Amino acid sequence: MTDQLTRRQLLERAAVGGAAITFPGILAACGGGGTKAAGGTTSVEHKLAKTLHFSNWTYYIDTKGQTNPTLDAFQKKTGVHVDYREDINDNASFFGKLQGQLSRGQSTGRDIIVLTDNDRYLSLMIRKGWAEKLDKSAIPNMKNLVDVQKHPSFDENRDYSLPWQSGMTGIAYNDKLSDPVLSVDELLESPKLKGKVTCLNSMGDALCMVMLANGDDPTKVTDKSFKAAFDRIKKVVDSKQIRAFTGNDYTPILARGDLSAAMSWSGDIAQLGNKHIHWNVPKDGGALWTDNMLIPKGGDVYTASVYMNYVYDPKVQALMEAGDPKRKIVGIYYIPPVKGAKEEALKLDPTVAKNQLIFPSQQTLEKVHLFDNKALNNEKYLTQWQNLISA
Amino acid sequence: MTSVAVEQRTPRRNTLAAAFAFVRRHVLTVYSLLFFAYLLLPIAVVVVFSFNHPAGKFNYVWQGFTWNNWLHWDGVPGIRSAIILSLEIALFASIVATALGTAIALALVRYGFRGRGTTNILIFLPLSTPEIVLGASLLTLFLNLNVIFGFWTILIAHIMFCISFAVVTVKARLVGFDRHLEEAAMDLGANEWTTFRKVTLPLIGPAILAALLLCFAISIDDFVVTYFNSGSKVTFPLFVWGAARIGAPPQVNVIGTAIFVIALAAMLANVLFQMRRAKGAS
Amino acid sequence: MGFFHRHRGLTPYLLLAPGILWLAVFFLVPLGFLAYQSLQSGNIDFGYAFTWSWGNYWTAIRDYRDQFIRSLEYAGIATVLALAISYPVAYWIAFRGGRWKNLLLLGIVAPFFVTYLIRTLAWQTILSDDSLVVRTLQNLHLLGANGRLLNTSVAVVAGITYNFLPFMALPLYVSLEQIDGRLIEAAEDLYASKFHAFLRVTLPLSLPGVVAGTLLTFIPAAGDFINAQLLGSPNNHMIGNVIQSKFLELTDYPAAASMSFILMAGILVAVAIYARIVGTEQLTGTAV
Repeated sequence: MTDQLTRRQLLERAAVGGAAITFPGILAACGGGGTKAAGGTTSVEHKLAKTLHFSNWTYYIDTKGQTNPTLDAFQKKTGVHVDYREDINDNASFFGKLQGQLSRGQSTGRDIIVLTDNDRYLSLMIRKGWAEKLDKSAIPNMKNLVDVQKHPSFDENRDYSLPWQSGMTGIAYNDKLSDPVLSVDELLESPKLKGKVTCLNSMGDALCMVMLANGDDPTKVTDKSFKAAFDRIKKVVDSKQIRAFTGNDYTPILARGDLSAAMSWSGDIAQLGNKHIHWNVPKDGGALWTDNMLIPKGGDVYTASVYMNYVYDPKVQALMEAGDPKRKIVGIYYIPPVKGAKEEALKLDPTVAKNQLIFPSQQTLEKVHLFDNKALNNEKYLTQWQNLISA
Repeated sequence: MTSVAVEQRTPRRNTLAAAFAFVRRHVLTVYSLLFFAYLLLPIAVVVVFSFNHPAGKFNYVWQGFTWNNWLHWDGVPGIRSAIILSLEIALFASIVATALGTAIALALVRYGFRGRGTTNILIFLPLSTPEIVLGASLLTLFLNLNVIFGFWTILIAHIMFCISFAVVTVKARLVGFDRHLEEAAMDLGANEWTTFRKVTLPLIGPAILAALLLCFAISIDDFVVTYFNSGSKVTFPLFVWGAARIGAPPQVNVIGTAIFVIALAAMLANVLFQMRRAKGAS
Repeated sequence: MGFFHRHRGLTPYLLLAPGILWLAVFFLVPLGFLAYQSLQSGNIDFGYAFTWSWGNYWTAIRDYRDQFIRSLEYAGIATVLALAISYPVAYWIAFRGGRWKNLLLLGIVAPFFVTYLIRTLAWQTILSDDSLVVRTLQNLHLLGANGRLLNTSVAVVAGITYNFLPFMALPLYVSLEQIDGRLIEAAEDLYASKFHAFLRVTLPLSLPGVVAGTLLTFIPAAGDFINAQLLGSPNNHMIGNVIQSKFLELTDYPAAASMSFILMAGILVAVAIYARIVGTEQLTGTAV
């Protein structure tokens, strides 16, 4: 935890990083050339490190006051101290921070990081060889991975990544200011909502939703379907229907009543605690995204894999997800990727286990889709999108 | 200053002029108070919301009053180390940057030397560089030097971008500085160093204080450059940005308010102390 | 006069050395990397190579001319506003502050100890569509019936102005505080009105402060992005936002780098013109 990162631990981390710096570092070119980091064909030594450096998003793990119960339990079980830092807030900026080290083959000082699959960086890291291969022999619990996540297009055999949590993108509306907004069509074109609507600034979310509303398939993007969706959004930007493109900063605007409706993520609304704000998957479908664990180059593969295995135990996952009101443990409240977690969660907190946003039904899951990964890395599309939201 | 002497100049025996003078004298004060009200308006909101008892994780709508946040000001994991780090860095960075900046300002204003023009441009350049490329390029340098990221890299970065502010602020004081006082001191037998210490330094004191305050404010609020060069350390702005994603907890308001209040209280104490000392001396 | 005159040649260099060295290592070298990057071409997938790609600069100007100009505009307006707003207060503190000067000075800066994000969130609450402020403006017909203050260019400029007030106010104060009140007295002794005394004595003497404050406000404001991001809407973003997106989202480091240099050049040109107007000695200082 950030509180306990003492100078000693910093030096310890540097020692780990230092070992990785000397060898590939010499090979790396100066000034950011894209050299491929030295490939790891050596087999992984089955020795646990003293510390696991885990970088994650904020509030993305179970908490009890100042501690994280599942991390403490992991330490008790394996003797590995988890140095948990919540220093990821945004895929783009986190990647921007790490790419210098990654492109030089230097260690990033982290063993596990978490990136989202409906943004380009996850697949980019895997493609560029900047992620270590998981030690699957240490992750027997991988069999508990839900089927729909077993063969994603960016990592066909799950060699490099494992889901951490998933979430859905849909529409939130304020019932004090508007009738229910249940479709993207309404969000974009209803004159009653003019200037009181925001759209997400992530291409994977926004275009996915609009393509679905257009009747196109977001999992297989073509120039034609991209153009249709893009033009449609551009039109409503010009007509000032959309007030702003936001990241997660739509929540205060929504809470204040400056917005009637917003394209938004499921977890945020659950945590808002405002009974006038409702979230739904639009009638044409919504987006599904998953934050994945990744071992950046230079990270300790064995220890990281052991941790991942621990997390894929349904009992552990259930505790992380739903928390335990009896022990005052607060859960994550996103969507777990582990089979059997729901059954375990029922024992801990039945209300959470039955919450559709956290344990959605098969019906709901069929209405959400993951955006085409190839489109996420298409420079042309990306530039057009950035020019639109940053004009 | 001799503002008292200026005030006592009675307007020419005209009641209208007297009225005008009255209004004019107080308009400035009223305006300035309005200015401070404007400046502090959002702070008032921050303070109020530090007592809020939010329903969910978001602290945007007033729900109810509670002392809890103040009692458990470090109840949020990571917040304490973040604010301590930010304060440390801001303190050291502002002191070092002001020292370096004052020296540069003295050199620029008082001496003709080769490269004055270039130096001036060099001072303006960091101000004009967008933070993101500034932070990323400094990161590149650190990577090439294989340094460990953390307290020192953050401090180095902060000193770097604060120097320019210190230089420009102190220079504003030095341009138009009356050299006669120094010359008088030297005529009376004081050497370089004594003149500097006893005449120059006190006279540019306000500028140095202003530079310190400005650098402190810049440092404690810096985000982008810090983000790139902090490794895994978290400063207060980084913490707030991270927490805001899910809803900044009221403790953030508590700490912000606390720093604000403590700084003012410390300065107030200092002022009152000086006043008492002056009274005691007289 | 001993040491001073004999070693006059060395003193300025001794004074400059530590600071300039610091900047040379921790700013100029990174700037060199940036310059190198700006002439690269390529992308993240296949790597970047140094190709003397001057085209990056041309593309940047051609494609983002509007944002460049808009940034200079917004920064300029914000600077003028900040000057107009801060000058009277700096004057008040300098001449009427008395023993409370330091406290008042701290009072200007202290609000900025509360993080930017929290301050801005508070402003968003104060200026929300349903707030007293907005409703009053609507009643006064200064704002349309459905008008709003947030997510507009007005909000962006207001945000920049507010956040740069200390950078204008403090240098102004520093310069005003040093003005000897007896000079003003003397002017009035010579039958100048208070206003004339101000115009002919105070204002010119405070010019170094005005110049310093203007520079410390305009220059960083031109590259600002965060105010536009949080308070703006899609069509009033600044060049800082574009550079940000080039760097982070598009991983187009050469573009981000070249755009940064164009921004810096634009700022230097603006500053040079400004120096012409106010007189270069104000900018560079005179060696007396």
